[in-house]
Amino acid sequence: MNGADPEMVVEGLVEMGSSGPRLIGSHCLGCGTLYFPQMPGCPNPDCHDKRLERTLLPDEGTLYSYTIQRYQPPPLFRMDDWAPYVLGLVDLGAGLRVMGMLSGIGENEVEIGMKLRLAVESLYRDAERGDVCTYMFAAAGDRA
Amino acid sequence: MRPVYALGAGVHPWGKWPDKPQLQLALEAMDTALADAGVAWPDVQALAAASSRFEGGMGWGLHANEVVQAVAEQGMPCINVGGACAAGVIALQSAYSLIASGQYDVVAALGAERMPKGFIPRPPGSKDDRTDNDYLRWVTMGATNPAYWAIEARRRQHDHGTTAETLAKASVLMRRNAAGNRYARYRDPVGVEEVFASPMVADPLHLLQICPVSDGAAAVILGSEDFVKRSGKPAVRVAGCAVGSGQFGDPARRIPTIATTVREGIPHTSEVAGAVRRAFDMAGVAPKDIDVLEMADNTAWHILAWPELFGFYEPGQGDWMLENGKLAIDGEIAVNPSGGFLSFGEATTAQALLQVTEILWQLRGQAEGHQVSDAKVGMTAVLGLGANGGSVILTR
Repeated sequence: MNGADPEMVVEGLVEMGSSGPRLIGSHCLGCGTLYFPQMPGCPNPDCHDKRLERTLLPDEGTLYSYTIQRYQPPPLFRMDDWAPYVLGLVDLGAGLRVMGMLSGIGENEVEIGMKLRLAVESLYRDAERGDVCTYMFAAAGDRA
Repeated sequence: MRPVYALGAGVHPWGKWPDKPQLQLALEAMDTALADAGVAWPDVQALAAASSRFEGGMGWGLHANEVVQAVAEQGMPCINVGGACAAGVIALQSAYSLIASGQYDVVAALGAERMPKGFIPRPPGSKDDRTDNDYLRWVTMGATNPAYWAIEARRRQHDHGTTAETLAKASVLMRRNAAGNRYARYRDPVGVEEVFASPMVADPLHLLQICPVSDGAAAVILGSEDFVKRSGKPAVRVAGCAVGSGQFGDPARRIPTIATTVREGIPHTSEVAGAVRRAFDMAGVAPKDIDVLEMADNTAWHILAWPELFGFYEPGQGDWMLENGKLAIDGEIAVNPSGGFLSFGEATTAQALLQVTEILWQLRGQAEGHQVSDAKVGMTAVLGLGANGGSVILTR
């Protein structure tokens, strides 16, 4: 991580690349399965190799389903100016579906099948750490 | 394997019992079950108990040991099993195996729980651990359990056109069933309007479409054929009893994971669907033979989706079945005549044994106030954290 990289709420999930953030997952050398987050092993019963390598996952996908989190979660979740937000399940291809908050998409705009792109957004501002961020999914056209 | 019978069962009513420790709930359920079975503690040769992470068990999940140390220090094996919300059925499976194997003739299975208030949090004192999904789901996105179920419900609306009204009617049915069940916690019937008027928790699920948490306890006494013959008491056959875990590629949004790798052809909620299939095979029955199904309705979505997952009817047909009264106590298949989790609230490790108790009473014709007419074959289905599933079939 260099000084320009955002402070993440938890390390090891996202890598900042030149073309934007990417989720860090595992790729099984035996059966080709993609996993997120990184896995200690490959649980596919048809896979007999099970050696995993770190990989960067696709940064675009489609919304498979979603909900709106209306109640403030327990304190382990921290967010400035808490308000209900959209939680999505995003199909990244190859059978991999990843859950995450949606960014910049209101509850009246969210639609199953919409194209999304990985983003990194601030959850809260901490006196020592500054902006603390998590991965989210934004409308795919937003960065153009 | 020897045949196994349900000799009796007992329940401590579900609710909030601030003045009764978990052990007290357990002892009261056991006393009721023993009396119902017509046996006493000296007859019990082993105890299998569900381990809770919330209370009791000396911090090690030793819930069976606590019970026998309180009332029955007679050297019996104490089997303590984990399985979260499916722990009760794993305790029953353990008791079943001890009898089927020929090792013992009378074995009890027990689950007793007092739940903390609100969303189930991580265990107190858990360290920040980025390899723990239950840590990641909170810190990265604050995903509560209802959010997982809501994502399933929203997708069902997309796939099958399930309406908000139909989802509401699932809750209405559960509360109508519970009105006649004195063991249920929420017994006031509600209408669709009241469901819609309750706060939205995670769209499309309102508060009245999500199971709350409760305190409660249930116990089931199993016995061998030899014992049944010797005692001369009527007993109901445990025709199927299966537990299992999940399959790779299962599309269910499994709590607390933050991602899923999906593979074609793998059943949704495979841990439960697989246990149900094995229970059917053991019992030699099919969905058409089931008169009453007690299944884990953590939400209204489960009422619509789960029977489809188990092959009772085609995917998407649950809406029509519910709307046309086919799932009611006097319908084609009575789903949760007890009122289900939506009316009891979930006392996690006790819930699966409550289900078996309900089926036993239904088959005996003792489900006072919510009896399914002439029920002959009944089934349970339950899901627990860690992809634990279980299913039990009773026949008479």
